[in-house]
Amino acid sequence: MKRGKKWPMLLLSLMLTASLAACGGKSSTQDTQTPEKTTDNTTTQTEDTKKDSGEKVELSFWSLGTTNYEELGKEYTKEHPNVTIKFQNTSDQTAHHNNLTTALSAGSGAPDIFMLEIGFMERFIGAEDKFYNLNDLGAKDIAGNYLDWKWKQGSSKDGSFQIGLPTDIGPTVVYYRTDLAEKAGLPTEPDAFGKEIDTWDKFAAVAKQFKDKTGKPFADLTDLVYNGIRDQSEGEIYFSKEDGSFIGDKNPQVKKAFDFTVKGIQEGWIGNTLLWSPEWGQATNDGGFDVMLGPAWMAGNIKSNGPDSSGKWRITQLPEGAGNWGGSFLTLPKQGKHSKEAYEFISWLDDKENQLESFKTKGLMPSIPALYTDEAFTGFKDDFFGGQATAVEYGKAAQRVKPVYYGPLHDQVDTFFKDALKNVLEKKADPAKEWDAAVEKAKTLAARS
Amino acid sequence: MAEPVTAVQTVSAGKRPFWTEQRRSRLTAYTFISPFFILFAIFGLYPIFFTIYLSFFKWDALGPMKYVGMKNYDLVTSDPMFWTSFTNTLIMGVMGTIPQLIIALLLAVMLNSAMTRFKKTFRVLFFMPNITSIVAVTLVFSTLFGNNGMVNWLLHQFGMESMAFNSGWWGVKIAISTMVMWRWTGYNAIIFLSGLQSIPLDLYEAARIDGANRRQQLAFITLPLLKPFIVFVTLISTIGSLQLFTEPYVYLGQSGTGSTRQEGITMVTYLYSEAFRNGFFGTAAATAVMLFIITIIFSMINMWVSGRMEGDTGGGKA
Repeated sequence: MKRGKKWPMLLLSLMLTASLAACGGKSSTQDTQTPEKTTDNTTTQTEDTKKDSGEKVELSFWSLGTTNYEELGKEYTKEHPNVTIKFQNTSDQTAHHNNLTTALSAGSGAPDIFMLEIGFMERFIGAEDKFYNLNDLGAKDIAGNYLDWKWKQGSSKDGSFQIGLPTDIGPTVVYYRTDLAEKAGLPTEPDAFGKEIDTWDKFAAVAKQFKDKTGKPFADLTDLVYNGIRDQSEGEIYFSKEDGSFIGDKNPQVKKAFDFTVKGIQEGWIGNTLLWSPEWGQATNDGGFDVMLGPAWMAGNIKSNGPDSSGKWRITQLPEGAGNWGGSFLTLPKQGKHSKEAYEFISWLDDKENQLESFKTKGLMPSIPALYTDEAFTGFKDDFFGGQATAVEYGKAAQRVKPVYYGPLHDQVDTFFKDALKNVLEKKADPAKEWDAAVEKAKTLAARS
Repeated sequence: MAEPVTAVQTVSAGKRPFWTEQRRSRLTAYTFISPFFILFAIFGLYPIFFTIYLSFFKWDALGPMKYVGMKNYDLVTSDPMFWTSFTNTLIMGVMGTIPQLIIALLLAVMLNSAMTRFKKTFRVLFFMPNITSIVAVTLVFSTLFGNNGMVNWLLHQFGMESMAFNSGWWGVKIAISTMVMWRWTGYNAIIFLSGLQSIPLDLYEAARIDGANRRQQLAFITLPLLKPFIVFVTLISTIGSLQLFTEPYVYLGQSGTGSTRQEGITMVTYLYSEAFRNGFFGTAAATAVMLFIITIIFSMINMWVSGRMEGDTGGGKA
């Protein structure tokens, strides 16, 4: 090989290396490209209001699940031409929160606004140095607008640190089918049906009666029955609010939920399907059971699983008070550079008017109690639920919710108890032994924290 | 080598330039292959060493790291769930791999025989399961294995009791192994097929002339010459089954919430839930290190066994 030819080759190989490195940086180029799209429809606007618009700010927003926030974001940009919001939406909760964990521990990559689901709250609420304290940005003044228990879910123990603004909530209600209730000789009107089952003992008696008359299970599956009672716990469930130690074996409400579900299994009025399984969906559609204990957002699942059952469902209150399952918060990770603009946007997105809008378009249950008596909210009638004013029932449930402390290992420990119940149901295992095994597993796990 | 001795002497006597011809060409070569090594160092080596380092710390990924020595290893090895995940992985590995390899080999021989028509179509069909999304596959299979699913219906047709494929000790394993088999059998069959096609046809011809029947041909020509492929496929399948994750994760969690039911927990689901559900990155790292060691042990056993097999037949290399 001639000497002169080597330098170009070296150059070529360096270029190859460089181009490979560029491949690695692909995501960053995409990042800068997408906002152009979102700004497209606002460029004309920007021209008109050029004089009074301040510094151009682009807020990144990681949103979770189905919301109408993207549409609202566009509306916001119309009013505030200097602010554009770039959305990145995912429906995978676990991945969504793991991405934030990665970004926070790596020190870069977190968005300006992050939608935090309550199930993952405990993981982040202790990391006060990683998030803006919304109280410093003015959240203190609007705290009173939101449900007290929901607000507290996003506060530190002493209440001085507020990690997020409450968005939607998930108060639990009883969904039931009128056609099956009628067959079993039960009242079909929500108030009367609710009265029939207003304590758990009465619920069990009605369930047994239903099973005897129709041969079908009363409730759909173990998990949701267990959740219904578990979520009515006083203040804490599996972990102590004080020191985070495992107290699940001493909490009478957990034992009550467990024993009640076992009773249902043994008396045969709880169905044998798995939550989220296609079989469960089929049973929802075909009338395989009468009641489902679920949060407000469960209506969406019932509608999509049971298109043939439209008009046959109603909603009533849970025995002995409501619980809450799910709901999110809007948080501002400290890696974001525009806390002021971000806060202004989320407090707008989360105000009364826009929560009502989110309820109407996507069924997100508002966390602002003032809405529960608002004509625009209570007047909402759902044909799927036989024209019932469902919003009223959700609102009633929301006000019965008592706040509970979950603890970082809540979800995992909860699975141990659910698995135990599944073993009782499917393997005819001894409930007492299963309880002990679940407690043992929970203790092994808790010993690590 | 052909350079005259005098030339070397003049170079060493005078001021030797740093960029000799040899060094330049070496640099070129290294630069060409550098992208791989750079990327490997960043995305391969660094995480490996960081994992080992992390396994001595307690860390929730957000707060500060706290040195705990060997405590993470103690916690993991004293956790009955870890050992359940270990035995599960082995059992499902055996159940998913061995029948799969036999079926794959038979399929490949069938496909290779001159009689099969539509060879290309079959090849595509075999490969299809491998490129479909595991999550979608798992959801379909969870319908089949449901309490009132098709598999239980079939069992009833044969007068058998229905099985608890969601919670039974064997039920869960059968369901998951079936998914693994469905996904990988075709893939391995294609690899075997390429091996079969590398065997020269005149060997079969000679054997036929000598009066060997089909079975003898399979036993004395096909299998010995296919040995390198069998060893390769077994090794890959072993490593693959030690890393079994998506099938149990989705199957037991239904919507991908990742239940850790002990009937179906594998080492990787254990690791995953330690890190991303419980937030114990230290014990998760310790699990990863142990998984790494176990994988190495199994690969070595594999190689040792295949080495011995090679010795027995007197070095049957193709």
